[in-house]
Amino acid sequence: MEHGYTIKSKPIYGALAWHDKATVHLVIAQSQGGLAVLKLFEQMQPKQPVRVLYAQQDTDYAKTLKKVVPEGLDVLNSEQELLDVLKSIMPTMRMGLRIYIAGSEGFIWSVAEAVKAFGVENADLMKEQTDTLARTIYCVHCKAITHNITTNIGKCSGCGRMLFVRDHFSRQMGAYMGLMIDAESPGELPAIEEIYP
Amino acid sequence: MALNFKKETFREDYTYSNSGESIKRFPFPFPEDQYMYSVNIEPHTKGKPGSVCEFAFDIDEHYVAECLDKRITLEQDPGRYQALPHMMDAQWDFLELTMEALAQDYPEHFSLQKQGLIWTWENKPLGIKDTFTFGDTSTLATEPFDYIGRQLQGDFVLLDHRDETLYADAGIVTSQADWSLAFNVGMSWREWHGPVPRATELGVMDRALKYLLNLQLGSPVRRLNWTMTVNPRLDTSPENYPHWGSDRNTVNADNVADLVHLRVELQTLFRLPRSNAIVFSIRCYLISLKDIATYPRWAKRLHRVQKTMHPDLIEYKGMTKFHPLMVDWLAKFDDGEALTVGTHAE
Ligand code: HEM
Repeated sequence: MEHGYTIKSKPIYGALAWHDKATVHLVIAQSQGGLAVLKLFEQMQPKQPVRVLYAQQDTDYAKTLKKVVPEGLDVLNSEQELLDVLKSIMPTMRMGLRIYIAGSEGFIWSVAEAVKAFGVENADLMKEQTDTLARTIYCVHCKAITHNITTNIGKCSGCGRMLFVRDHFSRQMGAYMGLMIDAESPGELPAIEEIYP
Repeated sequence: MALNFKKETFREDYTYSNSGESIKRFPFPFPEDQYMYSVNIEPHTKGKPGSVCEFAFDIDEHYVAECLDKRITLEQDPGRYQALPHMMDAQWDFLELTMEALAQDYPEHFSLQKQGLIWTWENKPLGIKDTFTFGDTSTLATEPFDYIGRQLQGDFVLLDHRDETLYADAGIVTSQADWSLAFNVGMSWREWHGPVPRATELGVMDRALKYLLNLQLGSPVRRLNWTMTVNPRLDTSPENYPHWGSDRNTVNADNVADLVHLRVELQTLFRLPRSNAIVFSIRCYLISLKDIATYPRWAKRLHRVQKTMHPDLIEYKGMTKFHPLMVDWLAKFDDGEALTVGTHAE
């Protein structure tokens, strides 16, 4: 394709910033996403109530967060624990809620899926990608999901086919499309390179 | 006029072929010597008798064989049918639209009797007769969209209209040009069109969407889209790409006219009454290069269109491997005569 070709379903993530119309803020972060939360609180300490859920991982900002976030901070030990707490507090959230998510792309879309069940639309989520560019891929042939793909071509966890990672992204699945790379020339693989470190 | 349904296949031995009549009515998509994406949408008004636009939904000699092929594909991969829960009203709207159209336009093959909400549907070519209660899903063996979608040629997507865009929230898709319903379900207009090169930059996609958001009940619209496919295969899905992808390696100068097919999609869109959803119908027509050359005007036109095709479109449509062979074969029909605008065969 000529220069300038992009697949428009690829999500573009920005940097977190407070919504001034919110009546309550829910900030959800993992690992290096903690830094994004600290930057958010540097912008200001909002007047409205804030709830922060943070999952510690490789990098840990819990100590600093405890100093910066005056109240409403929960530090959890894993993504799963965080998602469980999130699901338990969602029913108590009021109208005017704004949600902010910072973490790996896999984390962002796990959170998006969890809150969708409570009627929160994708458009109401602000997202910042941190930690890694690693991708979740959906094998279009056997339908298996494979996490943490860091290379242009990845092996399907379901059928073992070598999949080319397309930029085509499905919000529903939180995954990129993986398409068999050597269907037209079995066994001939291009160089496998890390491009999503 | 009673149709003569053919026995033929769209896989393995590929016995599919077009009769002379079928070639003549083929929806040839190129009115000019050049092609680029455009907002080629027009009202879906009644066409000439015998043409593919004579009726709302075209049934032709391939009907029975195509429904059989669809059944095989759905059996192997039930994921080719998807419907999000909020689309049930649209499903019944769809069933009503299609059953009424078929019964009215092809009375010798289909009939619909209504006694209040108790409806009896008969499909003679497929040997189906069922009585059910309109609006009551428990009275049909499958969901209504699945039930009638299997009895129609072509693919269908039901679009939910919200947030100033359209969402592909249901579909029955077994004859697609390389896109996946299971992956696309729930996507918005911009997302599912994400991979199409150049069209967004040309402003085609935004204008087309604007047009569709205004689609009125009772005023359907249509457009043609096209690609080239090796073998008359309906199921050129990404799901089964490992099965058909290597067919592209089999094309050579001797067999190009038999193997390479022009694949035209007659796409029609209808607003639905209760759900306010939109039906997107994609009716696929296949014709070999050899059969196109029945009409020298078409062969000349196709030669010029292909010779000047934008490289991004050659790549996106998967034609890279056999494109030069196709252009060479078509060249021998092209004497350079000026052709007037129009898709007519003669
Ligand atoms: C509203 C119903 C429609 C649906 C569900 C739909 C769906 C799709 C899908 C799934 C693709 C394939 C994208 C891929 O590569 O994965 C596609 C391609 C395309 N669509 Fe649509 N489409 C619709 C209407 C339209 C309309 C009204 C236009 C008018 C301009 C349009 C223009 C195109 C074009 C130009 C392509 C590229 C086709 C090719 O080069 O073969 N679509 N569409």
